[in-house]
Amino acid sequence: MSAGCPPQSPAVPKTTMSMTGTCPLLAATFAYWDNILGPRVRHIWAPRRHAAESLLLLSDGEVTFLANHTLNGEILRSAESGAVDVKFFVLAEKGVIIVSLIFDGELKGDKNTCALSIILPQEELSFYLPLHAVCVERLKHIIRKGRICMQKVHLHAGHSSGGISVFPKGFDIIPVLTSEILAIMNLLSSMKTHSVPEDVDIKDTVLNDDDIGDSCHEDFLHKAISSHLQTCGCSMVVGSNPDKVNKIVLTLCLFLTPDERKCSRLCHADGSFKYDTGLFVQGLLKDSTGSFVLPYRQVLYSPFPTTHIDVDINTVKQMPPCHEHMYHQRCYERAELGTLWKASSEEHVTPDSLMQANDSFTPDLNIFQDVMHKDTLVKSFIDEVFLLKPGLSLRSVYLSHFLLLLHRKSVTLLRYIEDETQKGKKPFRSLKNLKTDLDLTVEGDLNIVMAMAEKLRAGLHSFVFGRPFYTSVQERDLLMNF
Amino acid sequence: MIGSPDVVALTKEDDFGEVYPDPSVLPEDFSVPLFAHAANANPWTKTSYAKFSKDFILISEFSEQVGPQPLLTIPEDPKVCGTFDLNYFSLRIMSVDYQASFVGHPPGSSYPKLNFVEDSKVVLGDSKEGAFAYVHHLTLYDLEARGFVRPFCMAYISADERKIMQQFQELSSKFSRASECLKSGNRKAFANELQKKLKDLEYTRSVVHKETELQKMNNGCYSTQAIEKANELANVEKSIYEHKDLLRQITSYPNRKRQDVECLQPESEAPAKATGSDVAFPFNHSDAEHNPADGDVSDPRPSYTPQLIKAKSAKCFDKRLKTLEELCELASFHQTMDQLKSIEKSFRGDLCYIYTSQIDQILLGKQKITNFLFESDWGNGEPAKHFEVAGLIPHLDLPQAPDGSGEPTSLETCTSFGDSVHIKLELESVDGPAESSPSDLTQETSEDAADIETKGSFSSDKSIETLGAVSPSNLHSHLDVMGRRGTSDECSGTENGIFFDRSTVSSANAPYEKSSAQPGAFSLLDNDSTVDVYHTETLVKVDTACCMGQEGFIFEEPEPVHQRCGETVVKQEPLSLLYGDLALQVDFAGGEAAHEHSPSAVLSFPNTLSEDVARMNVEESSDTTSYMSISTSSDRAPSPLGHGNPVTVKQKKKAGQSALKFIRQYPFAQQAIFCLLSGRTLVVLGVDEGTVRKLVNALSIFVPNLGRYAEQVQPWLCCPFQLTDLQRWKLIGLQRIASPTGSSMLYSLSRYSRYIGILDADNKTLRCPTYKGTLIGHIADHRTQIKRGSTYYHHVQNMLTQLTAKAFLYTFCHHLHLPLGLEDEDAVVQRRTTFLYHLGFSEEESKIVHYLSGLIKQRYVQGPCQRGIQPVFAFNYTTSCLYKI
Repeated sequence: MSAGCPPQSPAVPKTTMSMTGTCPLLAATFAYWDNILGPRVRHIWAPRRHAAESLLLLSDGEVTFLANHTLNGEILRSAESGAVDVKFFVLAEKGVIIVSLIFDGELKGDKNTCALSIILPQEELSFYLPLHAVCVERLKHIIRKGRICMQKVHLHAGHSSGGISVFPKGFDIIPVLTSEILAIMNLLSSMKTHSVPEDVDIKDTVLNDDDIGDSCHEDFLHKAISSHLQTCGCSMVVGSNPDKVNKIVLTLCLFLTPDERKCSRLCHADGSFKYDTGLFVQGLLKDSTGSFVLPYRQVLYSPFPTTHIDVDINTVKQMPPCHEHMYHQRCYERAELGTLWKASSEEHVTPDSLMQANDSFTPDLNIFQDVMHKDTLVKSFIDEVFLLKPGLSLRSVYLSHFLLLLHRKSVTLLRYIEDETQKGKKPFRSLKNLKTDLDLTVEGDLNIVMAMAEKLRAGLHSFVFGRPFYTSVQERDLLMNF
Repeated sequence: MIGSPDVVALTKEDDFGEVYPDPSVLPEDFSVPLFAHAANANPWTKTSYAKFSKDFILISEFSEQVGPQPLLTIPEDPKVCGTFDLNYFSLRIMSVDYQASFVGHPPGSSYPKLNFVEDSKVVLGDSKEGAFAYVHHLTLYDLEARGFVRPFCMAYISADERKIMQQFQELSSKFSRASECLKSGNRKAFANELQKKLKDLEYTRSVVHKETELQKMNNGCYSTQAIEKANELANVEKSIYEHKDLLRQITSYPNRKRQDVECLQPESEAPAKATGSDVAFPFNHSDAEHNPADGDVSDPRPSYTPQLIKAKSAKCFDKRLKTLEELCELASFHQTMDQLKSIEKSFRGDLCYIYTSQIDQILLGKQKITNFLFESDWGNGEPAKHFEVAGLIPHLDLPQAPDGSGEPTSLETCTSFGDSVHIKLELESVDGPAESSPSDLTQETSEDAADIETKGSFSSDKSIETLGAVSPSNLHSHLDVMGRRGTSDECSGTENGIFFDRSTVSSANAPYEKSSAQPGAFSLLDNDSTVDVYHTETLVKVDTACCMGQEGFIFEEPEPVHQRCGETVVKQEPLSLLYGDLALQVDFAGGEAAHEHSPSAVLSFPNTLSEDVARMNVEESSDTTSYMSISTSSDRAPSPLGHGNPVTVKQKKKAGQSALKFIRQYPFAQQAIFCLLSGRTLVVLGVDEGTVRKLVNALSIFVPNLGRYAEQVQPWLCCPFQLTDLQRWKLIGLQRIASPTGSSMLYSLSRYSRYIGILDADNKTLRCPTYKGTLIGHIADHRTQIKRGSTYYHHVQNMLTQLTAKAFLYTFCHHLHLPLGLEDEDAVVQRRTTFLYHLGFSEEESKIVHYLSGLIKQRYVQGPCQRGIQPVFAFNYTTSCLYKI
């Protein structure tokens, strides 16, 4: 297949992907708006289906029809360059849902409107919706890389052969997209079989133990839950025993909303799951040697900081708070995109080359730190919940009291900051008063409530803590340049 | 000088300083910003560039004449849309419509075929305009339209993309319902239109047939005119066949599609036969009477007069297309509009708070046992409905009421204060809607009652009657107990008809105990009785030997609640009569008249009624206020809280503003709040009604078990209150009057002062027991920097939620309440005290937890129907102090 010259109608290049489990995804497509021919499909990806699943198959014609449909109306698009817009279709007539990311890119020397879409059966709507944000964020990132590839193809073509379309090897958007689409297919496939149920039975968790410390050490449990809440409910649980890992996963999921639980995953007994960016809680097994390779890049790309819990050695580590996490994430992403821009081919972009190519950016690989801040909220909850008789619903009712308290505290905190800053018009300067007024003087308590508020109002950490942090970072960078 | 002065280098100013970008540097539009929020951006401004002020609903059509066009917006106020270009956005949203269905003549078929297109739903946005939309595409039928279809869409437009995706399922479900309603009305209208058209065609056919026959007779069968007429007739007949086929199709709309649509009820109500189509016609229209096959002449609606028409319908661009209203039946159209207005209302506001309220509802759904304490409007909101439908509210698997029937099995719930005196005031009024002292009674109407109360003792029949179920033997028992205590306070208590119960047992065990001797009877007094607490698998045996010393104090088994709820309104004698309130001696044959006299009555009677019954009477009361006048002008001043309507969060937030002022103005606010939280009735005394009501309003947010209609609060009382009132009202606004009645009021106030707290609004003083803890300091710190009342209300809610959780913990910690082995009651009490101390509660604060726990147990044992009844008082004799500013 030639990268720059997709075959014209009717044949559309197609990549069939082998999956280990059943993938709910019907197909993924990359289409663009041809200035002469209108909407055109450039590539189709589809999971390989068994004969028994043939009913789920869409014909290439149908996929093409649907993919073209995603570009309907985009001739009117007037978005800023680089913007990625999301469209979401539920087409009952066809029984499918389509998620399309619309962006602009250079194809064949023209600026075109493109659409990267994934197609699922309509009956997977409730399964898919909680994962929508995860999929979209991951696709958005790969689109950013893809746009660079498209642009470089255009630049190379223009410079090297005076306008003749000769596409350099190594800069094709399709392989770039393929890698992430395969990852998303695997994610959806794994979630289909191992996602945490919407309602977690407290009997499957540590909170059903007769006494505190029966399953795991009291302080470990407290630390794990506290850190989990401080990192916005985002945690990875690693260990060698799948039952033990899953018990902690389910325990942590008790502190999430139903939708967040549906965006969490239990570990697979054979250890085949890899870390997936964007999930709230995920269980992962160590390999046979007892080691676990932490995927730095994926962890950094998670929308929230993550807590790392090792159930074998009872350790709890956490990433820095949201504003620092976001800053590191952005730095890394900019460096990654910048390196790709400079690289002569996509294969040359590796984490090592990334560090070498960008002198000003040195990723801090030691992103997981000990849990520094103790709290009283979780501590007292853990102490008290075990006083209630297990087996009845008393503990789950008490848990709901605790969660309600956290939610209400986070809303109060939000309102307090809104009042103080006139909804962000003025900088927030009264953190000390906030702590006193809202009874959040203990640092860990404040972190937990802030983390919950961050999920309700994205960017809150940056707004409240960002300025001093960025100033200190700039000072540090300045000193390092001497 | 050689040169040409007029030849100069021409440079554009812009180009002069231009720096050519380094090709190796990534352009910004291929990168991501380093900071998530740019210099002036913040978490609240992400939607600030939208050109409309708030979310709205837009209905657009893809007109065959003019293309996409906006039809209407909800709300209609043009200010909402601002400068947002509705035409452009209509074009944008209509251009993504999914037209997969075929309507028209399918290949191989000579007749038009209707295809019932399922709605499609799209979420899209215009990042440049800052507008994002949930778009619900639907197709309506119109006989005059091209292909008989008119594409429409209903769009919910918001500046917050996340809001639309997060609420997608809810939006989708609600818009689908609205769409089905609209389409149902459209199908009826379309069928109507077809029937009229068929009548026209039938009439035309008969006319053309006559003319054809005439032509044949005049000019012969093969004349040009005869052939033309014959062709015309054939066309008409073909048209009739086509229209009949269309009618058949529209009337055979698949039933499965409308099973779950509420608004389709009328569609299937009165099926009638369709005109000449030989199929059941489900629409109940006036045209049915014109149906020759039907022949129904009973329909009173005006008949349709057939007209002569051309065989082929005219489809031209100059004709007027039907409006949306005309395309549907009027009722369906208005119903749809109402639904859309409701959708707009339910999704109005910030996603953050919509989402939080949904989470709240889920979590509160799990706390049914404690919600009554401080969650006044729980379960009223839409989200709750939604989540209940979704089955997310789990069943509370707490130990059930002992008899398992859900009905009350015990009337008694005691408190467990070690040094408390229990005052039993079991009233007949629990069954009667009209209480002895309806709120806002005037001094005139209540004078008699006050006199009787003043003179009252248990020797009088009336007093005994007042105290209902208390038998002389019980009285003796209590007097005996009282005698043992022998304090002057107690004596005065006796004079006022107060029973003292020294029992320290308790009710702490109430949820865990049940009399084994008498089903449903109160168990505390049965020596050696053992109790089944839970269902079989959670059986707990309780030894109630600790209740010795109260022999003979047998409580009557209460009637089942439901029975009482059913009977009280009509059959029970109103208690006010017992107090000699002549004004209330009216004929009750009419039923609910007792409740209809003032809003104050509303506040008093729901004690014993189910909420539904209460609400019913509230509604009735508004129509019948002229029946009896017992209110002064001041009584008619609107009560800020409740006042016959359910207390809402909005009202409470407003009360939060007053509360914030209160805690800043009154240094003894903590003491006042302590009174309320620990169950001691607080009387706000003052001359000025407005001031008193404001204070009552402010303090009402701290009243536990406030009630859905704020039954526990009497915002303005103009007559002396009685002891029984303290049973029902935990916060009373009392008028200070300089008159003989006023002095009697003050007398009663001083008489009960040891049981109540008195906040003097005129002198800015408070008389109540001392509070020295820190807990309430977190709730009411006068130095707080909280700026807004609503924020303060949220803060108070936090603290009350925390308190509720502790009370729940205290109530349901088994080991706290049950004696271990040979442990005596003192040991149990000591254990409880230690437990609360470890939870961080001081001795005074423990009283709050005790009180809340007592309410939970009472609620648990008696069920929601008995909300507010406190058959036993527990007054703690502690010294009161006078606080001044």
